[in-house]
Amino acid sequence: MASVKDLKKKIKSTKGTLKITTAMKLVSAAKLAKAQHAIVSTRPYTEELDSTIRTVSALVQKYENVLLKESENTRAVLLVISSDRGLCGSYNSQLAKKVRAFITESKNLDLKVYFIGKKVRELVRKDAHEGKLYKFAKTEPSYNETTAVANEFATLFAGGEFGKVFVAYNVFKSAMNFIPTVKQVLPIALDKAFQEKLKTEIPFDFKYDPSPNEILDVLIPESYRSTVYTCVLDALAAEHGSRMSAMDSASKNCKTAIRSLTIEMNKLRQEDITTELIEVVSGAESLNA
Amino acid sequence: MNYFLVDVLTPSRVLARNIPAESILVPTVRGQINILPEHTHIIAKLETGLLSIFGDADDSDRHFTVTTGICKVLGNRITILSNVSEEDLEINIERAERSLANAKEKLSLPSLSNDEFVKFTRKVERANLRIQIAQKYAAHGKSN
Repeated sequence: MASVKDLKKKIKSTKGTLKITTAMKLVSAAKLAKAQHAIVSTRPYTEELDSTIRTVSALVQKYENVLLKESENTRAVLLVISSDRGLCGSYNSQLAKKVRAFITESKNLDLKVYFIGKKVRELVRKDAHEGKLYKFAKTEPSYNETTAVANEFATLFAGGEFGKVFVAYNVFKSAMNFIPTVKQVLPIALDKAFQEKLKTEIPFDFKYDPSPNEILDVLIPESYRSTVYTCVLDALAAEHGSRMSAMDSASKNCKTAIRSLTIEMNKLRQEDITTELIEVVSGAESLNA
Repeated sequence: MNYFLVDVLTPSRVLARNIPAESILVPTVRGQINILPEHTHIIAKLETGLLSIFGDADDSDRHFTVTTGICKVLGNRITILSNVSEEDLEINIERAERSLANAKEKLSLPSLSNDEFVKFTRKVERANLRIQIAQKYAAHGKSN
């Protein structure tokens, strides 16, 4: 049976935990707002880029780019974007589950797994043929750092080292919700049906300066890089969102724990007082008798 | 009123959306082009340079630096997609000068790979452009 002193200690330490979780929740909320803002500011660019590529490639006959080419090569890359720190609910474990499922599914591919963020790496280590772990100056990779990673894969892909490049990350839906996803980023798939539809929608052709092929040569690598960048941004927003809701429920749990501990402590203290009173009263009575 | 709308977008942020303009000057790989309303549909590759957007009497002119990217004219809407872009007001001239000196120093090193050469040449180009624009703006600011 716990004494009043023990309970007091417990309450104090729970209060400490509560302080930490509330602070972490606030920090995550601020970071989430920032990450969401970043997503919102990239969206117009990526959308415009995509639509331009689609239009141009639909209107141009016979265009070839090394990043569009399907290859027979069975060697493939999977880039897993997870977090460096824990305490973010099921963020990493769900992603790890997805990655493991993907590895079992794609037995026919010789898959090499690269990582951004070390948490999922620890979880899937024994199932995966491990590549490199990328580290960045800050915990959050900048646009330049992300494109450097993307370029590295593009060069390997163009050199025939790998036949496919996948990215595994959590798609941000809301602060409570994210969806672990594996997405193919190379070779870039252009939707043929959509292109046919565009051809009928846009009866005129653009004027190009210099040539449509040269423009696609610029746009296609750019689109690939921005896809990878959006994946990273999504993953970051999902991480902060997930941490925020995890910390929110942790704070709630702390509060309930503190309340029930306080009640228990008060009861015990009351009991102690009652026992002491009885002792005093009975002592006095025995003197009077 | 005969005008069109301009968007300036970069991968990390939206610099300008729906700015009304009467004419704009775009630096393309084959030299600067001037676009007026009712222009034909065009997609052009950008060169590092100064993008100027001229509004009518009520809207002030705006100037941006742009690097590699494209300019798309479709109907009365112009979209500029650029890798890096800044508006003249936000350029820090000291920083630009520092990065110019830094890049020039790197360029003078003998052990430079082709990629690095391209990278630092671009850096010099960008820094020069920033300084040029910032000075122009400063002069402009003083005269007002």
